[in-house]
Amino acid sequence: MSRVSFNCTMQEGQIGEETRVELAVALQQITQDVLGESPDDVPVTFSDIPSGFGFRGGEPSTTSLVRGSIVGGVTQDVREDFMRRICDCWMEISGCTVDELVVSARDV
Amino acid sequence: MPYYRCVVPKDSVPYDQRAAVAKAFTDIHCGNTGAPRSFVHVVFDEADDRWETPYFLDGGNRAGRSEEVKAELLSDLIGAFREITGVAPEAFSGRITEGPAKWTMEGGMVLPEPGEETEEWYSHGQAAAGG
Repeated sequence: MSRVSFNCTMQEGQIGEETRVELAVALQQITQDVLGESPDDVPVTFSDIPSGFGFRGGEPSTTSLVRGSIVGGVTQDVREDFMRRICDCWMEISGCTVDELVVSARDV
Repeated sequence: MPYYRCVVPKDSVPYDQRAAVAKAFTDIHCGNTGAPRSFVHVVFDEADDRWETPYFLDGGNRAGRSEEVKAELLSDLIGAFREITGVAPEAFSGRITEGPAKWTMEGGMVLPEPGEETEEWYSHGQAAAGG
């Protein structure tokens, strides 16, 4: 069983297939660097919210959500480092702004 | 956060109603909790999930609010959805689950616990909303 997994939800048409591959590799690399997990053991799934179905602040949304799950949990210091690195790499690869990204890392 | 996912039957809620519900949910959440508008996410999902009712509100919020606030929030959200869409009371229900704020980073900042919000956090939320 994988200890760490990601479910990424994006607004339709915002992030192409090639970029998704890059993002998945980056998430797996960060997981290895911070939590020591083998990239092969870190599943990453992507799903799209259809245009006109996602809103933020009452307006059409351009926000992506990256939801990480960590079996067994981590300390808050590690979690914050983990989430910060994910934010930085996601913005760099996707070109989104810091206000177009929500990252979570929950203990399960 | 908050993240309000409205599970609805396929083609049952047109865009203008979805937009109206999203605005109403944002007004209600911010009115009840004082959170910045830019932190309120509303998504409509024509999924095949099986819930108690054909229409279902699956909400996720930061933990730490009183039971009274949570109950009022859920009641207001459900009421607004029904009023805008015309869905019968018995066809729509919902729940709000909670998680620790510190598990989420939004706008580059770890979310504060309810009641521990700082001026910096509010300022960032207003800037993100363009207001």
